[in-house]
Amino acid sequence: MNLVMSAAKKILIVDDEQDILAYFEAIFQDSGYDTVVARDGSEGLELAKSEKPDLIALDITMPGQSGMKTYRQYKRHPALKDIPVIIITAINDSFKSLLDELNGFSTPEAFLNKPVDPQELLKVVAGILADKI
Amino acid sequence: MTQTSISTGHKKWINERLFDAIPLGIAVIDPEYNLVYANSAFEDLFGSWQHHKCYNLYKGRKDMCSYCESTMTFTDGTPRVNEEVGYDKNGRHIRYLQHATPVVDEDGNHPFIIHIFTNITEAAQIRDEYQLLLDQVPCNILLIDKNFRIVKANKRVRDWLGDVEDRYCFETLKGLKHKCTECTARQTFTDGQMHTGYHTWRSKEGRTLHFHVITVPLKQPNGGFDLVMEMAVDVTQTLKLEDGLKFAHTFLETMIATSMDGIFAVNERGKVTIFNPAARKLFNIMGNQVVSREELAAMLPKGFLAQVSGKPGHVYLPEIQAKTINGQTVPVRLFGNKLMADDGAIGMAFSVQDLSKIKQLEKEKLEAERLAAVGHTVAGLSHGIKNLITALEGGMYMLNSGLSKGNIERIQQGMEMLARNIERIAMFVKAFLSFSKGRQIQAKSCDPAAIAEEVVYLYAVKADELGIALKSEKLGNVNPAPIDYESMLECLTNLVGNAIDACQVSDEDGCHVTVRTFEENDTIIYEVTDNGCGMDYEIKRKVFTTFFTTKGLGGSGLGLLMTKKIVQEHGGRIDLESEPGKGTTFRISLPRRRLPNEIKAAQGENISV
Repeated sequence: MNLVMSAAKKILIVDDEQDILAYFEAIFQDSGYDTVVARDGSEGLELAKSEKPDLIALDITMPGQSGMKTYRQYKRHPALKDIPVIIITAINDSFKSLLDELNGFSTPEAFLNKPVDPQELLKVVAGILADKI
Repeated sequence: MTQTSISTGHKKWINERLFDAIPLGIAVIDPEYNLVYANSAFEDLFGSWQHHKCYNLYKGRKDMCSYCESTMTFTDGTPRVNEEVGYDKNGRHIRYLQHATPVVDEDGNHPFIIHIFTNITEAAQIRDEYQLLLDQVPCNILLIDKNFRIVKANKRVRDWLGDVEDRYCFETLKGLKHKCTECTARQTFTDGQMHTGYHTWRSKEGRTLHFHVITVPLKQPNGGFDLVMEMAVDVTQTLKLEDGLKFAHTFLETMIATSMDGIFAVNERGKVTIFNPAARKLFNIMGNQVVSREELAAMLPKGFLAQVSGKPGHVYLPEIQAKTINGQTVPVRLFGNKLMADDGAIGMAFSVQDLSKIKQLEKEKLEAERLAAVGHTVAGLSHGIKNLITALEGGMYMLNSGLSKGNIERIQQGMEMLARNIERIAMFVKAFLSFSKGRQIQAKSCDPAAIAEEVVYLYAVKADELGIALKSEKLGNVNPAPIDYESMLECLTNLVGNAIDACQVSDEDGCHVTVRTFEENDTIIYEVTDNGCGMDYEIKRKVFTTFFTTKGLGGSGLGLLMTKKIVQEHGGRIDLESEPGKGTTFRISLPRRRLPNEIKAAQGENISV
């Protein structure tokens, strides 16, 4: 990766599984991104407010509060609603049935199914962040 | 033939004695109405007459009668006959005919009147009775002449049709212009015999009335007759009742013949009188084969007939085994009713419903529910596996990138991730194998409360160490039921284990877990209640439906799925109530009628995942 960046982009990773957080963190860091991690939805919301990430990678199936609820909280928040979100999930439901749960909120920028190909993940992230500039 | 001529002496005797010998009362009154002379027959009737006025003696009056025929006879000399009512010498009412004949002297005056009395008390009585009978008898009576004109009608007819005398019967009764084609009166006129028939007459309001008519000749002493007496009884109501009865009978017969339920009945002597087609089909009895009482008793549950005949009212068995005539068992719903009339039992009626189809449907539904549970499990499993693969790939990534970068720490991390997740896979596989091995439920009669007690016993040491008050409560009586003891023990173990975990997470001291066993509406209920951390909506929604755990690496996410599967295999359901911070109650409900058969169930349990 020979990306030249004025300042490293920051990615917030929200997932309940420690090992998956470590995995995604390594992938992103190896490509020159900054990362912050949250273990559940409410922590993810607090961190998003304090860290102002450039992108959020969000799991859906988490104890306590589902990723869909967290997603809606981001989109309702004036300071957070423009941060792009990639949903990364292992659930079997089609992307469409997830969209049905949006209740009128704008669709996420990307939707990836676990297990994810690291190259694919980095490509999607780079694409979204490039559009933002 | 010689004729003896009457002598002067005889004539004298007759003239002098005839007055007293004649059997009619005779009296003579003067213009002042004084009785001046009377014969002995008169004295026999009215008593002694001297110094009485006629009205004193005949009528018991002090004053003259207001209407007096004798006064008129004194005036015009015309004899008169009148029917009178008075009193005899004993004060009894009598009815008599009174002939008033004037005595005429040489000058043509009428100084006296002779009263001649005929006592008609008895005849009048009979005549009155006859009239009363004619008018009050509950039937219409007419006298009809040969021209079919009504000569006389009783009061009933007159009240109904008004003045009918001298009118044609066919016109009056039926509104016809011509004689009836079928006429019982004509038959009687023809042969002099009594005839009966049914006629429809028309009421004033235009309603059709039905009559049973009898015509008899009104014979004279010489045997001839000019009149026919027609007696007509209104049978409209009776016919209506008969029609109603006929309808009810036909309706009932049709209902019994076409009913989907079996219907049969026995009379008071136990003879089988009704056995409808549905019952024949259910009990496998040929179309016209007669069912004996013994055969019936053998097909029904033992003692059922005696139970029904033993008490008034009905006996209802919602689910019971009956036998066909060939001895095959059929699951049925039975209803027996003792039939009572005013003066005691008149038999028993039964209805029977074939439950085999319903049982089959229930079995199929249970199977469908079980398959749905398996489906959910597979979906949940795939979710779990994807997370595991991701974590394994993570481990590989850390290992590879660590190796290429020479980063020992990352290599270490990758190794740990791989080891940890391989262990998780082992745990999943073990749990899933036990879930999917498709062990057939083996229900045996056991005490439901004993299972709860054993679970509490198994967890007693652990609960004690954690300071959690764990107890089992049995509320009321719970009879033994066909349950797979080991499987239900596993369910309750899962629930109690979860409850203890919830208590450990809770901030509160003094946690308790209670297992209650009780029965409500023929449903056995287990309740596992804790006052631990509780669950919010998001978790409640997911506990049964996905491969879900809140315990991180400590849980397989299969415990509640396993529990749900076992409960469903017992035909039951599992529900939960929970509030964050307050605690959780899981409730297993097992309706008795849906519990598996106690014998080794022949369920098609050959699905393995």
